Amino acid sequence: MLSSLGNPRQAAAQLMNFGLILSSAFMMWKGLSVITDSPSPIVVVLSGSMEPAFQRGDLLLLWNRNLMAETNVGEIVVYNVKGKDIPIVHRIVRKFGTGPDAKLLTKGDNNAADDTELYARGQDYLNRKDIVGSVVGYMPFVGYVTIMLSEHPWLKTVMLGIMGLVVVLQRE
Amino acid sequence: MAASQERITVYNLADLKNTSDDALPNYLNSIGFTQSHRLTDVRLALGYSAFALAAACFAWDYRFGFDATKHLTAAAVALYALLNGALTLWVLYAERGTVYVGTSRDGAETLRVSTATRKNVPEYLVTVEVTRKGAAPEEIKFARSFTEWFDEAGHFVAAPFQAAFANSVPAIGRADPKKVATAAKGKEGSDGSEEAAAYTPEMLDMLAKANVSVVGSAAEEATGSEAAAKKKGGKRRKA
Repeated sequence: MLSSLGNPRQAAAQLMNFGLILSSAFMMWKGLSVITDSPSPIVVVLSGSMEPAFQRGDLLLLWNRNLMAETNVGEIVVYNVKGKDIPIVHRIVRKFGTGPDAKLLTKGDNNAADDTELYARGQDYLNRKDIVGSVVGYMPFVGYVTIMLSEHPWLKTVMLGIMGLVVVLQRE
Repeated sequence: MAASQERITVYNLADLKNTSDDALPNYLNSIGFTQSHRLTDVRLALGYSAFALAAACFAWDYRFGFDATKHLTAAAVALYALLNGALTLWVLYAERGTVYVGTSRDGAETLRVSTATRKNVPEYLVTVEVTRKGAAPEEIKFARSFTEWFDEAGHFVAAPFQAAFANSVPAIGRADPKKVATAAKGKEGSDGSEEAAAYTPEMLDMLAKANVSVVGSAAEEATGSEAAAKKKGGKRRKA
């Protein structure tokens, strides 16, 4: 109960438990990043441009190492466009050249045209380094929580507050 | 603390255990034991250094991006796993549910008290490891029902709780002889049933009522003989 906060060591221990929950979650995420070599190994699909493969709210697991083979035509990749921080999930439809300098063109399965419109001004293709990872697994619908959270930011505050309170008030 | 105005839910085993655990250091420190915080301090050091590492990792990741700090992050993740593993091992094998470590006033005896409960059994399982200077540690185990020192409403009553320890552990009994005497008298009074608690339910209720209405160490006068000895302890604890 609250009175236990009178003891500085106990208070410190309870605060530590809360901190460790947060930091463990963060370090697990970073560990996954290191293993998959991707800055963001799990992404949520935000648009319907890849339907029927992926719907809005699907959770995608990415892999960004070319151990066996190069990233190739037909793979679904997540890429970042310079100057825009929203990652895009689309399929590679053309590839010119090999190695890190290969020129890649992507297109959404559900889009009428390829992605040249979506790229930055003056950019006609992607390089390997623009790609955050290739999709190797997905979980339908789970990511909807994060869509809700980003569309209603106040939910984040509420959730964090409740979590904090529970940890501080409960010792078990 | 002794006169707990605070009420706990008597059906909540964690509450029962935590309240009792909190009361133990107060009692033992008040009768002259010097508490050692080494176990807790090591745990806090491990936990907070792990947290600091994660915070640093967050900072450099935020500032320099993932690709520039990849190797540093990999090292940090490995070190974090190590620190967290060490923390888990420390809690499991070094602390083992320890709630109090302390040395007696003359420095001859060291107590290590660990407590536990079993799921859905309202019993306080206590293990006291007494180490005398230059001798092998001696282990005393006893189990007491929480009903002995919690009344129906959920008030903690200090006297029977303290008597349970004073009677079960000679090292504590020697430091607080009045408690041992009281309990012995109580046993004789309650028509020879050896295992009976030193305090009957009626007495517990009475004690609790006194505690609620009178507030503070005065409540302990309700128990009569040991009031004088206890009162001193109560004052010291508040300091």
